[in-house]
Amino acid sequence: MSDSPSSTETLVLLLTQHQEPLFRYIFSLVPCEADARDILQETSLALYRKFAEYDPARPFLPWAYRFAFFQVQKHREKSSRSPLLFSEDVMDLLASERSHIEPQLDDRLRLLDACLQKLTAQDQELVTSRYALRQSAEEMMAHFSLSRRTLFRNLELLRQRLHECVTRQLQTEGLA
Amino acid sequence: MNLESLIHAAIDGEIPPEQHAQLEDLLRSDWQARRLYLELVDQHARLLQQPAVNTGRLQATTPKRKTRQWWPSLTAAAAAIACALIFWPQRPAETEATSNGVAMLSQTMDAQFSGTLRSGDTLKPGPLHLTQGLAQIEFFSGATALIEGSAEIEILSAWEARCLSGRVRVHVPPAAKGFLMHAPGMKLEDLGTEFALNVKDNTSAVHVFEGEVIAHTDQSPTSLKQGMGLGHSTSDFLSITELHGLVKERDTRRFADWQQWSLTASKDSRLIAYYTFKHLEDDRWDRLVKNVTEPRHPQRAGGAVGAAWTQGRWPEKTALEFKRPGDRVRLNLDGTYHALTLACWVKVDSVDKKYNSLLLTDGYDNGEPHWQIYEDGSLMFSIMYRPADAAKSARYNQMYFSQPVFTADSLGRWHHLAVTYDNTSGTVIQYFDGQEVGREISKLHQPGRDIVFGPCEMGNWGLPTQGHQFPIRNLNGAIDEFAIYSTALSASEIRSFYDHGKPE
Repeated sequence: MSDSPSSTETLVLLLTQHQEPLFRYIFSLVPCEADARDILQETSLALYRKFAEYDPARPFLPWAYRFAFFQVQKHREKSSRSPLLFSEDVMDLLASERSHIEPQLDDRLRLLDACLQKLTAQDQELVTSRYALRQSAEEMMAHFSLSRRTLFRNLELLRQRLHECVTRQLQTEGLA
Repeated sequence: MNLESLIHAAIDGEIPPEQHAQLEDLLRSDWQARRLYLELVDQHARLLQQPAVNTGRLQATTPKRKTRQWWPSLTAAAAAIACALIFWPQRPAETEATSNGVAMLSQTMDAQFSGTLRSGDTLKPGPLHLTQGLAQIEFFSGATALIEGSAEIEILSAWEARCLSGRVRVHVPPAAKGFLMHAPGMKLEDLGTEFALNVKDNTSAVHVFEGEVIAHTDQSPTSLKQGMGLGHSTSDFLSITELHGLVKERDTRRFADWQQWSLTASKDSRLIAYYTFKHLEDDRWDRLVKNVTEPRHPQRAGGAVGAAWTQGRWPEKTALEFKRPGDRVRLNLDGTYHALTLACWVKVDSVDKKYNSLLLTDGYDNGEPHWQIYEDGSLMFSIMYRPADAAKSARYNQMYFSQPVFTADSLGRWHHLAVTYDNTSGTVIQYFDGQEVGREISKLHQPGRDIVFGPCEMGNWGLPTQGHQFPIRNLNGAIDEFAIYSTALSASEIRSFYDHGKPE
């Protein structure tokens, strides 16, 4: 472990730059925000401990993904009784498939912002409560006077609309 | 519950265990399910990360976030990292250049696409409609597909494509094992092999030439080995030798046509010098860059320093490659001129210096032109006129920039560059592949000032005054034709230079 401030600074910089993709990677394997954030923290610590082994000539993310995958496995073993975690073989499949389509995922996110602008005012309010204000289901049910079932149905439809909008944009963009 | 609803329920944490098991089964057995899942969770993760930016109408509301008390056990440095992660502002912009290409168009033959594509282009996922000709696509996974127009292909990723119609031949090296080709009624999983696929009227026929393909149809998966086929057997599968033969033929023809044109062009009396970079086998020193103008001006021949001979636009054509900081071609061009045209065929591998030389005079005295590629990929032409009484530090060079033309997509292949200038109107016009990319008159222009070259060089800027360090401006690339005229050529003449010399 290196104590030199410059290597720590380098890592902080790299982590800051890459925390969004790292979070997205972890979240694809453990789609629960609190757990994914915990795993992200564990991953940053693991990266800190092993940072001396990092070869700056190589891209940072693939290297970091390996640590993240390992931390996800550790998390899985720790909470092995949870039925809401994917089994190992499914995680393997997801991780490998994700590495193949990562450029397309990045492409989709680029178009997501424009699609969000196109949402109706109602849908935008839903996005705000769910994602910006992090309101609980109960708060949202009270605020929008919706049943639990309808609320989650609306959220599903909202995300589905965004997904379709992005797919459409990609198609019109073609190979430009 | 359908797949979408299962995924959304999982994202919202509203999924009962038995439905989670159902989702897991779907993800295990179906790659399309995995793909939809990955897209939807990625979208959700993004919304969780950057809601304020995304909705575009929110104040910076700090989300309530439950952070657990875990840092007392850590070292200060580790805590600093963790804090950085939690509290530092999100930076959406990546500093590293990225590309979302998954394949490249490596070779084309009389190919017409709906939309403009050239060989060497990077391809992103999406549809590709080849209306005629042949095209070879190299997927970044290592798989190669040869396609004959008319064909409709959809590129899904580096590992996956779909053929909607047309004739395709696919080669999959061991590294790309698992490459998937979708066709109406089947999905072909390639286990390292070569196979051909014909799709017509929404029915598919496949033939395996080598290795093994697993064909997934609505029945159980079938293994197809060498010589086996599926669908109505036809003998008109696409042959790979076809493309290579045709490309070779085309290269020979283009080269011969260019030689013919070049011979006529060399007799243009407006030429100051014309270099075709022919490697002369009988030149014992191997350093001569002959000036081929007629009538002859042997004193304007160039001398190569460092730069090595390499292949030019066609296999039979030679070029000089500039790589190391010392590489250059020395010239000495006598005379005083009222106008000029500089035109060359260049393959730029990288724009890695602040200034990347095309043609520069030694030093930078009155009337001397400098032609370079600026660090942002634009073409930069400048000419120096300093009044006798001007302070040394004042800037008197007339500078002209084109729009940026060297981007990731235009590097590594042959392009035609040209600039014209006349000292009456003062207009500088810059061209890239025969198209105007810049037109400007400098505020400092005064009509009638002479243009001179004297000692100068291609691909570098040199012969600095003794004892001084010289800035490194060497070109990273190759040049295989360079013409210098004493007049400003018209747009149609530049266009003709490009049309007769373009590689394909």
